[in-house]
Amino acid sequence: MIAKTTHIKDTKKLVGSLPAIRYTEPKYLYLAMANARCPKAELFIKEGDHVNSCQVIGMRQGPFFEQPIHATCSGTYLGLEKHYHRNGKLTDFIKIENDFKDTLDPSVHQRSPEEIAALTKEEMTQIIKDCAMVGLGGSSFPTYIKFQTNKPIYTILINGIECEPYITADHRLMLEFPYRIMDGIKYVMQAFNCKHAKICIKSKYHDIKEVYQQVIKEYEGSGIELCLVGNYYPQGWEVEMIKNATGIQLKPGELPSNQGIINFNVSTMVGIYKAIKYNMPVIKRFVTITGDGIKFPKNFRVRVGTPIKDLIPLCGGYRNPEKEKVFILGGPMMGASVPSDDCIITKTVTSIIILDKTNYVEEPCVRCGSCVLSCPVHLEPVQIMNAVKAIDKERIKKLNPLKCIECGLCTYSCTSKIQVTDYVRKAKLFAKL
Amino acid sequence: MMTIVKETAPHLRRKATVSRMMTDVLIALGPTLIFSFVVYPLNTLWTLLISLFIMNASEFVYVGLRNMMSNDGQKHTFKERFEYSYKGKITKNNFLSASISAVIFTLIMPAGAPIYAVIIGSLVGIIFGKLVFGGLGSNIFNPAVVGMLFAKFCFGSQYVTYVPTWYFTIPDVASGATPLGLLSEGAFSNITQYPLLDLFLGRIPGTLGEVYKITIIIGLIYLLIRRSIDYRIVVSYLGTFVILMLIAGLSIFGLNNNVNPFEFLAYNLLSGGLLFGATFMLTDPVTSPINPPSRYLYGMIAAVITVFIRLFAALPEGVGYSILLANMVACVLDHYEWSSPRYTWKKFLAMGLIIIISGLVTFLAIYVGGAYHG
Repeated sequence: MIAKTTHIKDTKKLVGSLPAIRYTEPKYLYLAMANARCPKAELFIKEGDHVNSCQVIGMRQGPFFEQPIHATCSGTYLGLEKHYHRNGKLTDFIKIENDFKDTLDPSVHQRSPEEIAALTKEEMTQIIKDCAMVGLGGSSFPTYIKFQTNKPIYTILINGIECEPYITADHRLMLEFPYRIMDGIKYVMQAFNCKHAKICIKSKYHDIKEVYQQVIKEYEGSGIELCLVGNYYPQGWEVEMIKNATGIQLKPGELPSNQGIINFNVSTMVGIYKAIKYNMPVIKRFVTITGDGIKFPKNFRVRVGTPIKDLIPLCGGYRNPEKEKVFILGGPMMGASVPSDDCIITKTVTSIIILDKTNYVEEPCVRCGSCVLSCPVHLEPVQIMNAVKAIDKERIKKLNPLKCIECGLCTYSCTSKIQVTDYVRKAKLFAKL
Repeated sequence: MMTIVKETAPHLRRKATVSRMMTDVLIALGPTLIFSFVVYPLNTLWTLLISLFIMNASEFVYVGLRNMMSNDGQKHTFKERFEYSYKGKITKNNFLSASISAVIFTLIMPAGAPIYAVIIGSLVGIIFGKLVFGGLGSNIFNPAVVGMLFAKFCFGSQYVTYVPTWYFTIPDVASGATPLGLLSEGAFSNITQYPLLDLFLGRIPGTLGEVYKITIIIGLIYLLIRRSIDYRIVVSYLGTFVILMLIAGLSIFGLNNNVNPFEFLAYNLLSGGLLFGATFMLTDPVTSPINPPSRYLYGMIAAVITVFIRLFAALPEGVGYSILLANMVACVLDHYEWSSPRYTWKKFLAMGLIIIISGLVTFLAIYVGGAYHG
C-alpha cells in the first residue's frame, strides 16, 4: 500500500477505560543509582539505615547538573542490587525494604495559597530543582532547566496527546486528577507570568473532553483552555503539537521558547503541583501494562521503584508463555526493549508493553515510497538506507539524517518489512563523524 | 520458561506487504487477460505459458547463481548446495514479480507474433531488463517493455495480422492498419472508420491485451482504491497527455477545420497502449522515483515523450519508448543532491516549464512547421 501512515491500530480505547489500580505496595522498592542523563551517583546513607518517604538519600551526578534521589517509601536501606533500567542497561539500584508505614520526611509540608501566590519564578525553579522534577512523558529532561529561560512566554502548552499506541497512563491521569493538573498549570502560569495555557488532547478522546469542559468552568478567567488536535501519530511530538495548537511552525532544532511557547507533559503538571503545594517529589506515577503477551491489560498507580515482576501477577500473568516475548518500557514505536522482565519502574516509565515476538522476513525494497510519504520530518529513509549500505558519507550528510526524531514510522510503514529506522540510526552516527 | 528477546524500536509493523501489492496488480490484470483469452484464445494461451515459464525459471536460476556456494575445498551434495542457495533467499515475491512481468509482456505482445519472438522477447526482457541489474527491486527498466521492444526490433516484419472476424465489426479491417498507424501517417480523417466504441471495446487490430480499455479502466480503479499504485504518476501522466493533445488538436483545427480537437484527443486517449502503460507499466514502483514531487515530474516527462513520439516521430506508438526513457530519468530525479519529498518552488517551476515548453513546441511544430496534418 503506497500511502502515508498516520494511524496505528491498537487497543487503547479498551484499556483507557479501565480505572487505575492503587495501593499496590511492594515489599521492596528499588531506586536507580544512574540514569541516561546522570551516569553516577553518591549515596548519603549506610546499609541498615532507616529512611523516610521523600527523604533525600543520594545525589545523581551528570555532566551538566545534579539530581537528588528521593526515597519513595519509608523503610530500611538494604544495599545495592543490579536490575535492568528503562534504557535496557543493567544498573545499580538502591534496595529499600518497605515498612508499610509511609512516614513522611519533615521536609514535606503544605504551602498555603498565600505562600504560593508570593512565590517568584526563581523560588519555584529552586523548589522544582530540589524535588528532582523531570519531564515525565518519557524524555526525563530536567524541568528546572526549562524554567530557567529568560525569553518571554506567551503560551503554555500541556501535552496530553499521548500519541504512542497502547499507552493509556496519561489518559487515566487526566481523567482521575483533573484538579491537580489545573492547579499545576496555574502555578506554572504564575511562574512565567503568562496569560494563556492550552491543554492539548486528541479530538477523539471524548471522555477527557467532557471532564475538562466541566473543570475549566470552575477556573474561569484563568486563561486555561482545552485544545483539540489531530488523532494521528506522531501528534505528540512537540513540533507537530505546537503547529496544530498555535499554528506556529518551528524550524528544525529551534527551541519552542524562541517563539514564546513552553510545553510540558500532563504528568509533569501533577508533579509540579505536588512539588509546589506539598514540597513533595514524584513518588507515584501512572503506568499501563498492556500488549498481546499479557492476560488482562491494566492501568496502575504505583510507587516509583516498584519492580515490574510484582505487577505481572496482578495482570493475570503472561498469555501464551511458550511464545517468545518482547518486553518494552515506553511506547511500542519508540520505547526500548529490555532483555528480561527483571526491571524497575522509574519516574519516566509510562508503560510496560509485552508483545509476542513476530519474526519478519526482510524482502528486497521495491521502492514503494511509503517511508518517504510517512516521514514526519520529510526525510527519505529509503535513500538514507541505501547510502548507509553503500557507506557513502557525503551522501548520508546531504540527506540530513540528524533531523530524524526516530518515531519509527519508516519501519512501521515498510511494505518489505525492513528495519529502516535502524539504518537511519546508523546514518545519524555517520553524520556526526 | 518464557524467553524474552531484545529488538530495536519500533516494535509494531503494519499489515500491508509487497506481496499484497503484487497480488493486487495480478488481480487488476485479470479482467484484461480474460478478455484477451476470449478474443484470441490460442495466441494468448501459448504466449502467456511461454513467458510465465521463461520469466519464472530465469528468476529461479538467477537467485541460485547469485547465492551459489563458494568453493571451500569440501564435497557437498546437491541437496546441500541447493538449500544453501535457496533457503531464505527466494520468496514468493520473486515469483510474483516475475509473473507480473510475464502477464504484462503477454498483454503488450501483438496478436500475430511468432513463437520464437515470444521466447526471445521474454528471455531478453527478464535477463537484460531485470536480472543484470540485480534482480527484484534493483532493475532500472521495466522488463516487459524491454522484452516487447526487443522482439519488435528483431522480428517485427514477421508479425502477421490476425483478425478474429467474429468480434470485429469493421469488415475491411483485414488490411491490418491499426488506428495509431493511421494517426501517425497524418491521416486523421481515415481513422474515423473506427468508431470510438470499437476503440473502447478493443475491436481493432493490435496487441493481445492493450486494446481492451474497458477492462484496463476496471483494473486502474481497483489499483487506485487499493492504493497499490501511486495515483500521482497516473494523474500527472494522463493529465499532461490530455493537455498536450488538446494543444495539438487545436493547432490542427487551426489548419483544418474538419478536425474536431476533442475527437482527436479521444482517439489518442483510447488508442495504443496509453491507458495500459499508465496503469501497469509506468507505475511500477521499482522503476519510478521515490518521492512525491519526483513522481509528478516523472509522469510528466513520460507524457511529453509519448506525445512527441506519437505526433512527430516515424513511429506510430510511443508509450513503450516513453516508459523506458522515463525509467532512465527516474534515477536522475532521485539523485540525493536535489531529491526531497517537499514541494519547492523550483519543482513547481520545473513542472510549469515542462508543460509550457512542450506545449509551445507542439503548437509551433504543427501550426508553423506543418509537422502533422490532420
